[in-house]
Amino acid sequence: MSNPVLPDGIALSTRGLSRTFRTYQKQPGFWGSLEGFYKRKFEDRVALAATDLTIPSGRIVGLVGANGAGKTTLLKILSGLIYPSSGQAQVLGFTPWERNNAYLRQMSILLGQKNQLWWDISPMDSFRLLADIYDLPKITALGRAEDLARMLDCHHVLKIQLRRLSLGERMKMELIGALLHQPRILFLDEPTIGLDIVAQATIRKFLSAYVADKAPTVILTSHYMDDIASLASQLLLISKGNLVYNGTVEDFTRKSLAKQKIAFTLSEGIPSPWTLSQTVFPTGTQTFQLEAPENEIPALMQAITQRPGLCDLRILEVDFEDVIHHFLTESQGQAQQ
Amino acid sequence: MKTVAAICKRTWRRNWAFARLGILSNIEYRFNFAVDALLQPILTVLVESTLWLALFQLQGSETFAGFTRNQYLSYVIWSSFVARLTTNWMYEFRMINEIESGSLNSLLVRPISFFESYLSQFLGYKLIVTAASLCVPIGVCLIFDFPVFWSRLPLALLTAAFYMFFLYLLSFCVATFAFHLTRITGLSVAKNLTLAVLSGEILPLDLFPPGWHNFLVHLPFASGVYIPVGYLTGRIAIDQVWQAAQVQVVSLAGVACLARFLWRKGLRTYVGTGA
Repeated sequence: MSNPVLPDGIALSTRGLSRTFRTYQKQPGFWGSLEGFYKRKFEDRVALAATDLTIPSGRIVGLVGANGAGKTTLLKILSGLIYPSSGQAQVLGFTPWERNNAYLRQMSILLGQKNQLWWDISPMDSFRLLADIYDLPKITALGRAEDLARMLDCHHVLKIQLRRLSLGERMKMELIGALLHQPRILFLDEPTIGLDIVAQATIRKFLSAYVADKAPTVILTSHYMDDIASLASQLLLISKGNLVYNGTVEDFTRKSLAKQKIAFTLSEGIPSPWTLSQTVFPTGTQTFQLEAPENEIPALMQAITQRPGLCDLRILEVDFEDVIHHFLTESQGQAQQ
Repeated sequence: MKTVAAICKRTWRRNWAFARLGILSNIEYRFNFAVDALLQPILTVLVESTLWLALFQLQGSETFAGFTRNQYLSYVIWSSFVARLTTNWMYEFRMINEIESGSLNSLLVRPISFFESYLSQFLGYKLIVTAASLCVPIGVCLIFDFPVFWSRLPLALLTAAFYMFFLYLLSFCVATFAFHLTRITGLSVAKNLTLAVLSGEILPLDLFPPGWHNFLVHLPFASGVYIPVGYLTGRIAIDQVWQAAQVQVVSLAGVACLARFLWRKGLRTYVGTGA
C-alpha cells in the first residue's frame, strides 16, 4: 500500500476505512450447542462502515457513540492493533497496521478496560521497562513519571505492585505509562470508565493541562459527556458504524434539534385551564419544567411571565448529554427507516 | 557502522529489560519460585528413580537392554533436569492467554515484538531456575557416584539450550492458533505429551525397537533430552551429537519460517477482544 504524505497540519486522514467482523451465531440450548459442534453459522457484522476522516494536529477530538457503535474499532485500526477490511489510513504519515517502529514511538493508546502495564511489578518498574522499550534516557523517563504522578496526585503508589492498586490509581498509572514517551498522537478509549467523580475530574484536569503544555493530537472516547464537553474542540459522532457528525462541539450543540428546558416556580399550583404549546411537568409541589424547540422559547416565556404568582423563571443550560442522546436516537431511528 | 552498533545496543537494552521482567515477576512470588526451582526437580528425580529401581528389582538383573542400573538412574536424573530446562509450557500458556484475552494489545502498540519480548522473559526465567535447579542433578550424581562424563557437560547443555530455542519457536507457532480458535490449551497439552515421548524424556530412545529408534533419533525432538543426556551419561558418542545438531539447524530454520508465516496470518484476523 502506498504511503501518501499527509499535508502539513494534518495528523490523521482516512479514506473509505471500514471493518467487518465475522461472528459465530450460536443457537440457544443444549441441541443448539450440539448443532454448533458440527455445523456453525457465521454472520458478517459491519463494525465500521466506509469512513472518510481528516483530523488536524494538536487538537482534542471527542469520539462519541452508543455501545457497539464502532468507536473502539476505529481507534484500534488507527493505532495499528487491527487491520481494516478495506480503505486507507494515514496517521502521522504512517499506515498504522504496518506497525512501523517509528510510528509506534510517536503514538500511544490507552484502553480503559485493559491493563497495559505489567501486573506483577510496581508502576515504577513498569516505567523503567517502558524507558528501555522506547529507548529513553532512564533519568529523563523516571523524572517525567514522577512529574506526571505529582500532577495526578498519585506519587505515593509508584512503588506498589500494580495488582494491589485501586481502579482509579491503576488508571492514573496507565495514563502515565501512555504519556512517558511524549507521543504526538494519543488515543484514549474510555480513560475515566468506572472511576468516581473526583478521579474523573482529576484525570480531566490533568489531560487538559497536559494537552495545553505538550499539544499532542488526542482522540478521546468516553461515555461521560462531561469529558467530551470540557476537553474536546472537535466532535465525531458515530452510530452503528457510520460517522454521523464531524464538527465542533459548539456547532453541534447549536444546530442540534434538542429542546431547551424552562424551569419556573409558582406560589400556587398550575391553574386549569392553562393552555401552552408544550406540556408542563411538575418537578415539585410548586416547581415545574417544560421542554420546547428554540423558536418557541420567547412565546412560552412571555406566557409564563404573565401568570400571577410567578416566583422564579429560568432557561436551563443545555445538557450536552441530552443533546447527544437526542441526536443519536434520531439518527438511529432514521437508519432503521 | 555506528547505526548497526546503535541498533544492537537498543536491541540489547530492551531485551535485557524483558529478561529482567522474567526474573522479577518470578522471584516476586517466593514460594512458587522455590517449589518450581527446587522442590519440583527433587520430586521428579525421586519419582523417576523409584520407577527404575522397582523395574530393576522386578527384573532381578544388574543390566537392562545393555545398560546398568546406575546408568539408567543417571539418565533419569539428568533427563528430568534437561527436560525442565527446555520445557516452555508455562510461557506457551501465557502467550496463548495474551492472544485469547486481547492482552496482546499492550505489546502490539509498542516498539517491541511479541516474539522478542516473550523470548527474553523466557530466557530470564530459565536463567534463574536453571541456576537454582542445576545443583540437584550435580549433587545427586556426585553423592551416589552415578556415571557422568563431566567433561561433556558444556556441550550437552549447549545442545539442550539450542533445543530450547527450537521448542520456543514451536510454542510460538502453537500460540498463533489462538488467533483463529478460542480455546487451544488442549492442543498445547497434546503437543507437550507427544514431545515428552519423542524427546526421550519418558524413556531413553534406545529402548524403542531398532527401526523406531533409528527414525526417532533423526527427528529434531531427540535433541531435547536423549541426545544431550545420552551423550553426558555415555549412551551415545559425539558423532551422533553433530548429526543431531545438523537436524536441529535445518528444523530451526523451518520452524522459524513457519512461525513468521503463522504470526502474520494470525494478526490479520486479530480483533483485540475485550475492549
